[in-house]
Amino acid sequence: MSLLKPFSKLPGLNSANILLVESEEQFQQSLADALVEETTFTVNVRLAKSLPLPVENEESRPRIDLVVFIINLTSELSLQSAEASLKCLDPGYFLGKVCFMVTNARSAAAPVERLDVARKLAASLHCPLLFAEDQTPDGVTNATERLLTILKVAAGLVPMATALYLSNLTRSTVPPDIEQPSFN
Amino acid sequence: MFKSVSGFCLLRPISTPDMERHRNSVTSKSKSYRMSYRSSLGAAASRLGLTPALTGRRLDTRRRAPKSHNITEKVNPEQLALLTKTEWQLSYVTPLYRFRHTQLKSYSGQLSAFIAAGKQQGLAVEVFDPQTAFRVSFSVVQGMTESDDDADTVLIQIHSKPLFARQDEPQKTVWSGLLTCVNANPEYLRSLPEYFICLPLFGSSGAEGLTALVKSWFQQSFDCCFGPLEISHTSLQWLMALWTNCHTESSIQHLKMIWTLPAVPPLQVTYTVNPEDAWELWSSVRKTRDKRGGEEEENCIDIEEVTSFMQGLKSHFYRHFKLDLSAGSLNQVSTALGSAKSSGRMKISNSRYMITTLALLTECALFKMPI
Repeated sequence: MSLLKPFSKLPGLNSANILLVESEEQFQQSLADALVEETTFTVNVRLAKSLPLPVENEESRPRIDLVVFIINLTSELSLQSAEASLKCLDPGYFLGKVCFMVTNARSAAAPVERLDVARKLAASLHCPLLFAEDQTPDGVTNATERLLTILKVAAGLVPMATALYLSNLTRSTVPPDIEQPSFN
Repeated sequence: MFKSVSGFCLLRPISTPDMERHRNSVTSKSKSYRMSYRSSLGAAASRLGLTPALTGRRLDTRRRAPKSHNITEKVNPEQLALLTKTEWQLSYVTPLYRFRHTQLKSYSGQLSAFIAAGKQQGLAVEVFDPQTAFRVSFSVVQGMTESDDDADTVLIQIHSKPLFARQDEPQKTVWSGLLTCVNANPEYLRSLPEYFICLPLFGSSGAEGLTALVKSWFQQSFDCCFGPLEISHTSLQWLMALWTNCHTESSIQHLKMIWTLPAVPPLQVTYTVNPEDAWELWSSVRKTRDKRGGEEEENCIDIEEVTSFMQGLKSHFYRHFKLDLSAGSLNQVSTALGSAKSSGRMKISNSRYMITTLALLTECALFKMPI
C-alpha cells in the first residue's frame, strides 16, 4: 500500500501545497476556490475523496505540506472514511502536517457522540481540530484564513517556526469529563 | 451566559462562613438553581476553573432493559387512551416556578381566558372560528411516576364548543398537551430550589396556533422556556434496540426504519425487517456479550450492543443493495410498540412500555435543556 510521505520530494519556492480530503466532495470545492485567492505566496490545492491517492499521479504530484481531513458530522460515513484514510498516511505527517476540519457541529442532526469520537481522534493524533461553517461565504473565508495560518508554517514560509513547534500549541485536547455520563 | 454560570460556581469555595450566613437566604437558592448538571454530579474539574465543556454531558451508555409496567390498572383508561393514540410533538421545558398540582382548576380558567383574549387580538386566526368557544381542562394522570421525586404528569385538553350548540352535542377535543417527568435524575431534582417543579417533557398535538398560545401562557405564568426537542440518532438507535428487546413479551410485528440518503434528488429508503429476524440478530448480539454472568448484567444493555445491532442491519442492506446507509440519516423508527421521528414526533402505541419510553425521552429533554 503506498503511503503518502512528507519529505520524499523537494519543496517548491515560495509555494505551499495543501491536500483536502473529504468524502462528500462539497466543502472542499468552495474552500479550494477561496484558498487560491491568496497572493503572498502560491497555494496549490489538491482535492481527494479519500486516501490512498491514485498511483498514476505519483510522479507529477508535488510535496504535500498539509493534509486536511474535512468531516461532516451529520453523516457517519464521513467520519468512517476519514478514519480509514488515516492509515494511508506516513507517520511523519502527524508531526504537525495533518489537520482536522469539522462541519455542522451545531446541527441537530449531528449526535454529540460523533463529535466526541472526532475529538478523541484528533487528540490521540496530536492534531488541531477546527470547526468550520460551510454554508455562508463568511464561514468559508474564516476557515480559509485559519487553514492558511497553519499552511504557512507547515510549508516552512514562516521564519523560526516549524510545523512540529506549532502543533504543540494547536493540538486538540479532550475535556476531562468527556467520559462521564451525566445521569445515574 | 454560560460564562456567568461558571462564575457562580466559583463563588462557593471562596466565601467565608460569616458571609455565608448573611447571604444564605438570598443567594443560596439562586446559586443552587444555577448549579448545572455538570457541577451537581461532582464534576469537580469544572468547578476549579477549567472551561466547563458545554458538551460535557452525555446520555447514559448503559440502560436497564425495559420492564413492562402494567399501568392499565393505575391510570384512568380515558387518559391512557389519549396517551397512546396521539402522536406528540415534543419540546423541552425548563423548570416551572410555582406550578401547583392543586390549582389546576384555576389554571384551566386562566388559560381559557388567555385563549379568548388571543382570539380577540387576532392571533392564530386560522384556528379560531367565530362560532366556537374554547374550554380548557387540566387533569393529573396518576400512576405514571416511577420514583417519589417525580412530579405527577399533567394532561391539558382544549375542547371546542360551538356557541349555538345543543346541550347534548359532544365536545370535540381540538388540542391536547402533556407535561411529564419520568425517572429524572434525583440529585438534579433535589438541587432545584423551592417552588420549582421539574416537568421537562412537553408534548403537544393539535393546531400550531393553539400550541403557540399555550406555550406563551406557560412562559408568562411560570417563567419557563420552551424549546424544540429533536430525537437524535443515538436516541433513535436506543429506542430501536429497546423495542426489539421487548419482542418476546409483546410482539413488535415489524421493525421499520426510514432513511434519507443525500443523493440528487434525495433518496428515501424504507427498510422493514421481519420481527423474528430482528429478534435473532438482537439476541445474537446480546449473546456475544453475555460472558459476564449475574442477574444485574443480563438486564443492562450497553451502547456497543446497540451500535453493533445497527451495524448488522446496515451491512445486510449493503450486501443486497450496495448502498451504505451510513451516508444518510435515520429519520424514523417504528414498530408496533410506537414510532419516533427525528423531527421530534413520538407515538407510544403500547401502554406497557410507556414508562420506559417516557423515561428515555425525559432524559433527552433534560439533556437538551440549557440549564
